[in-house]
Amino acid sequence: MGLSSANTVVNEGFQFCIFDLRRGQHEGQELDKILFFYPADLPFSTQLSVIGLSEGLITFTRIFSPEAACEVIEAERNSHVFHQAEPDIWMVMVVEKSKESDSIWRIDALRRVLKEVHSLFVMFHGSIRSLLDKDPSGELVRSHLYAFIMDYLSAFQKRSTWDVCCCDFLVGKKIKLPSFRDCLKERGTVQMLTVGREAALEVQSLVRVLESCAGNAPCYSLVLFQDLLVSTTLSPDDTINLFTYAVLRLAPNALLSRASSWSYLRKGNTASQIAAASVMASSGSVSEQFYGSRDTSPHGGERSHHVVRPLQHNKWYKGMDGFLVTDIWGPEVGSMVSATPTVLLQQTEERMYLCVYQHKSLTLILLFPISSILNGEQGISVVKQQIVENASLKMLKVEEKLSKGWGGENAYHVGGYRYLLVDGDRNVSRASPPGKVTTLTKESLISLSNLREEIDLEKSRAKWDDPGHEKDLEICIRAKNNAWVIARTTRGKELYMVLEKANETLLFASDAIEKFSNRYCSGAFSLD
Amino acid sequence: MFGKASSSQLSVSLGGSGALSHVYIQHPPLRCSIPGSKGLFYDDGNKLILSPTSNQVFSWKTVPFASHVAPTSDSISEGPVLSIRYSLDSKLLAIQRSNHEIQFWNRETGETFSQRCKSETESILGFFWTDCPKCDIVFVKTSGMDLFSYDSEIKSLHLVETKKMNVSWYVYTHESRLILLASGMQCKSFTGFQLSSAGIIRLPKFEMAMAKSEANNKPVLAAEDVHIITVYGRIYCLQVDKVAMLLHSYRFYRDAVVQQGSLPIYSNKIAISVVDNVLLVHQVDAKVVILYDIFADSRAPISAPLPLLLRGFPRASSSSYRTGNKDTDGSEANDISDHETIIYGDNWIFLVPDLICDVAKRLLWKIHLDLEAISASSSEVPSVLEFLQRRKLEANKAKQLCLGIVRTVILERRPVSMVTRAIDVLVTSYSNSIKTGSYFKGIKAEKPPTSDVSNVNPPTSVVDESIRREDALGKSIKHGSASGVENESLNRSPAFSVSDSEENVSFENSNHLRSLGAKADRENFKVAESSQSEVQKLSLQSQLLGPSNSPLNANNSENLESQVTSAAISPDEMYSCVFASVEEEMAGDPAYFVTIVIEFLRSANVERIKVHPNIYVLTVQLLARHERYAELGLFIINKILEPSKEVALQLLESGRQNIQTRKLGLDMLRQLSLHHDYVLLLVQDGYYLEALRYARKNKVTTVRPSLFLEAAFASTDPQHLAAVLRFFSDFIPGFKNTADHSAYCRILNEMDSSITT
Repeated sequence: MGLSSANTVVNEGFQFCIFDLRRGQHEGQELDKILFFYPADLPFSTQLSVIGLSEGLITFTRIFSPEAACEVIEAERNSHVFHQAEPDIWMVMVVEKSKESDSIWRIDALRRVLKEVHSLFVMFHGSIRSLLDKDPSGELVRSHLYAFIMDYLSAFQKRSTWDVCCCDFLVGKKIKLPSFRDCLKERGTVQMLTVGREAALEVQSLVRVLESCAGNAPCYSLVLFQDLLVSTTLSPDDTINLFTYAVLRLAPNALLSRASSWSYLRKGNTASQIAAASVMASSGSVSEQFYGSRDTSPHGGERSHHVVRPLQHNKWYKGMDGFLVTDIWGPEVGSMVSATPTVLLQQTEERMYLCVYQHKSLTLILLFPISSILNGEQGISVVKQQIVENASLKMLKVEEKLSKGWGGENAYHVGGYRYLLVDGDRNVSRASPPGKVTTLTKESLISLSNLREEIDLEKSRAKWDDPGHEKDLEICIRAKNNAWVIARTTRGKELYMVLEKANETLLFASDAIEKFSNRYCSGAFSLD
Repeated sequence: MFGKASSSQLSVSLGGSGALSHVYIQHPPLRCSIPGSKGLFYDDGNKLILSPTSNQVFSWKTVPFASHVAPTSDSISEGPVLSIRYSLDSKLLAIQRSNHEIQFWNRETGETFSQRCKSETESILGFFWTDCPKCDIVFVKTSGMDLFSYDSEIKSLHLVETKKMNVSWYVYTHESRLILLASGMQCKSFTGFQLSSAGIIRLPKFEMAMAKSEANNKPVLAAEDVHIITVYGRIYCLQVDKVAMLLHSYRFYRDAVVQQGSLPIYSNKIAISVVDNVLLVHQVDAKVVILYDIFADSRAPISAPLPLLLRGFPRASSSSYRTGNKDTDGSEANDISDHETIIYGDNWIFLVPDLICDVAKRLLWKIHLDLEAISASSSEVPSVLEFLQRRKLEANKAKQLCLGIVRTVILERRPVSMVTRAIDVLVTSYSNSIKTGSYFKGIKAEKPPTSDVSNVNPPTSVVDESIRREDALGKSIKHGSASGVENESLNRSPAFSVSDSEENVSFENSNHLRSLGAKADRENFKVAESSQSEVQKLSLQSQLLGPSNSPLNANNSENLESQVTSAAISPDEMYSCVFASVEEEMAGDPAYFVTIVIEFLRSANVERIKVHPNIYVLTVQLLARHERYAELGLFIINKILEPSKEVALQLLESGRQNIQTRKLGLDMLRQLSLHHDYVLLLVQDGYYLEALRYARKNKVTTVRPSLFLEAAFASTDPQHLAAVLRFFSDFIPGFKNTADHSAYCRILNEMDSSITT
């Protein structure tokens, strides 16, 4: 189809770029539109040809559908996944289709990666557009994007076995993308801990105490137990972002992984670290060249500004007072104390201080508006002290209660079923534990992955057909290996399931769903 | 109205200014003046004030304390009267004529007989009637106790038992059924008996502590220095140690008497009252009263010493009781010295538990607690609430005060931890009242409290083995006197322990007979003789209500009070009187209010109390109004807001702006198996096919077919319309003959033809 031109020069079969359609519209200034490109050591001509193709397609498809330009191009040897992150700012991921089965993926899963990286970026640095406005040369946004996305891609850590959906991608030199093996996961959702009423009340009581510690300012909190969300007072989008970040970097497992990697995974891990580092180093030099050319720009003198890299690894550790600390945000101006991290909330567009307290498996994330805390770090430490004074007893109690009710990493395993349950309204998902999913055969997983692809299509079609009206959908497939692969959606909830050791008949399969639905979804999927 | 008043007052008082008195007596008193009276006597067994004249004895009921009670009279023969008491069944009247003789009248027949001491060496110190199964009347003599039973056949007393010992003086209260016999040089060795309907229990002998002023000067304990009190169903003895200036307290158990610590005193003359289980220590010389609530272990007074107040006296106009007390008191005293009372005057005799008798002026006052003032005097909200929750006598007022306090602390946005503790107090108290049943009794008992009084005489046991908390709420007696369970249950209204109920606590006046003592009686004598000519009109008035001004109000709340015997506040009342009203007044950020609701729910959950769905509905409204849908969802999913139809409907209502919330409401309806509503709402939302499937599965037949048909028609999909038509034709017998069927068949045909053309 002639679209494979990019592929000829891509060795790794993976490209990732971000560009701004409003920039570089004049002959000779094309480079200006590139905000990020991976791999960075590709010649600019190749980068430009990838972007040029994407831009052309976007412009073309906009003629027919101004609101939603193209989403994906399926070429013979690769797929282009598009995501318009902000108006006129596009993210494109190009993935190679190879014979290896590992490169069977779901487009929607890939797009969710794009969405995730963008919303995390916005949470820490603000929107790309705002950075561009701040520094029209683009240098500021480039340096931030580069550091951020490389951290996002490169950081590979040993995943704990039940770390459900938030993994990093770079294995050695190869980017490991979500493949069919991850079809029982849903990126961009949170996983919740199921708690009884009593525990829930205790948690809420704790949350209220915490939020009252900053005085009258409106503050927010997120409570995690292990890697599961217990309570949030944030809006859904902000919850997802912070939850994602917490699971990646803050939760006990994320902190622990450092220790464990030294103990028995040293070899593999260091190898990957070295590999990642080399990628960074090599690409770094190229980017140096690229951005180096800008040194003459009026802002060149400020190049020494500190680029905050929130996704850097092993930068968080537990302080003496139970609060997690990091030096990512650099030292406070004029002092040796590390600056308190800040994040930007999507909903209120307000910058907040981020305080994280950890007690055993319990992680409390607190957000205070910067505007409400008068004298910076001093004010923060007062608030922290308040928290320790007022809430530590309650925290102990809550931790104890939740630990008692916690069923371990296989708590949500349901014997005989491999499932994924997504509540689109709440952005919550629950799945069989990863350890159990690995017992499925490849065939089943590929079938499910394909089935999900179908459902994704069907869903997006329904969205355009009849907004506000969700369709009920049910598909049961008998896979080649005689497994039942089932998808059912109803009113915003989705259930995907693989039954490998199931009986022959369809009746059995639908019985199994009925049982599951009644038992674990309070009947949401048992309409008939 | 109550609430408003109290809350406004509270807000003032929490700011620091205290009231000027916590205890008051209400004007007008009960006037017990009869021409030719020989004095006043208090019969605590029957709660009567008796006033004998030369040939008659007049008696006024003090329970319920009402000022317009007219006296009844019995004729008696002439002669000296040292002491006078009716039998507990009121059939006999006993008059102590001398140290050796007691005379009896049969009120029905008018027959009389006398009982005399056998020997001239012993003399009668006093006597009392008892409901002990073994005997009917007990004579206390210098040589011991004689227990007699009355034989109605031969119309005379029959000696049952004699307990030999030397007795200097004795103390008895009918309330506790306990008699303490003092002996020894210093009169500080005591033998105690409890003569209750459960039988006679002999207490171990014990000595009271007496400090010595000098080595050789041994003080002698007098009868007026020893007080038996009953609080929270426990029996204590308080002993005034004038040398050490301490008030020692002893608590009685079946097999032990345990000293419980001492309270400081600031006056040589001490009087003791118990009002609604609150101990009042009158420092008579200092003219102040100190209040103690000895429920908890703490011996700290409830508040600072303040004077006793005379309320409602005509000159002391309505406002004076709160402003410049002292002055008005003084002026009153001057104005009315002829015929009115001087606070802590020399003629005051304190009748246990809560009456004051002015023997010179023949007035009887009842002591009241000013709960508002007490609650206003402390800013320690949780402990004030605890105190108020324990009040039974003015339960309704205490309740209103509690509600007012909670409202105020929430409106003032006090620290969450403090409000939490306050709420915990109320919830725990309610939970306890449910367990002991007193709450429901309060709801049910609309009968006048007096009807029970005669047969609910509590055989309060000395025995009090368990000192656990619930005991204090009134079960102690039940637990304690295990030995007498059968008797008690015969004697009592079945489910409720006696000390728990209002009547008993307030009306079981223990007779302080002799501890008012010989002295008191003699005083009465003299006074009676000296003031025989004085004639005073009797006027009696209800004094149950404190500060409310108009008599109409007074009556209303009196009625209320007779119904409410517990200050416990149910979750429903919490909702209607606190949350609903507070929510209206609290504008802006709901975070604080939600916090309080959460704390309330947590507290209720700990006590396993069911909460009114309205609280949940309110919370849903609040969160939705401030668009905190994420939290709302979390609350619903975690069942912090328990599912109910009300909540579901509110979610649907609030979900008009937020489809996720609406779905939560729908899901809740389904989970509650409210099939009809669920199907109806599905159809309304346009999910008619799903609704049909659900209707068939759950056999919902109550939703009109036309609704489904209309929805299907609105979708302009002939296939769907046909499917719906077919469904009803197949599953509802006779549907084919309805107008709906034919109408929609025609519509369907038109749709088909329009498509094909």
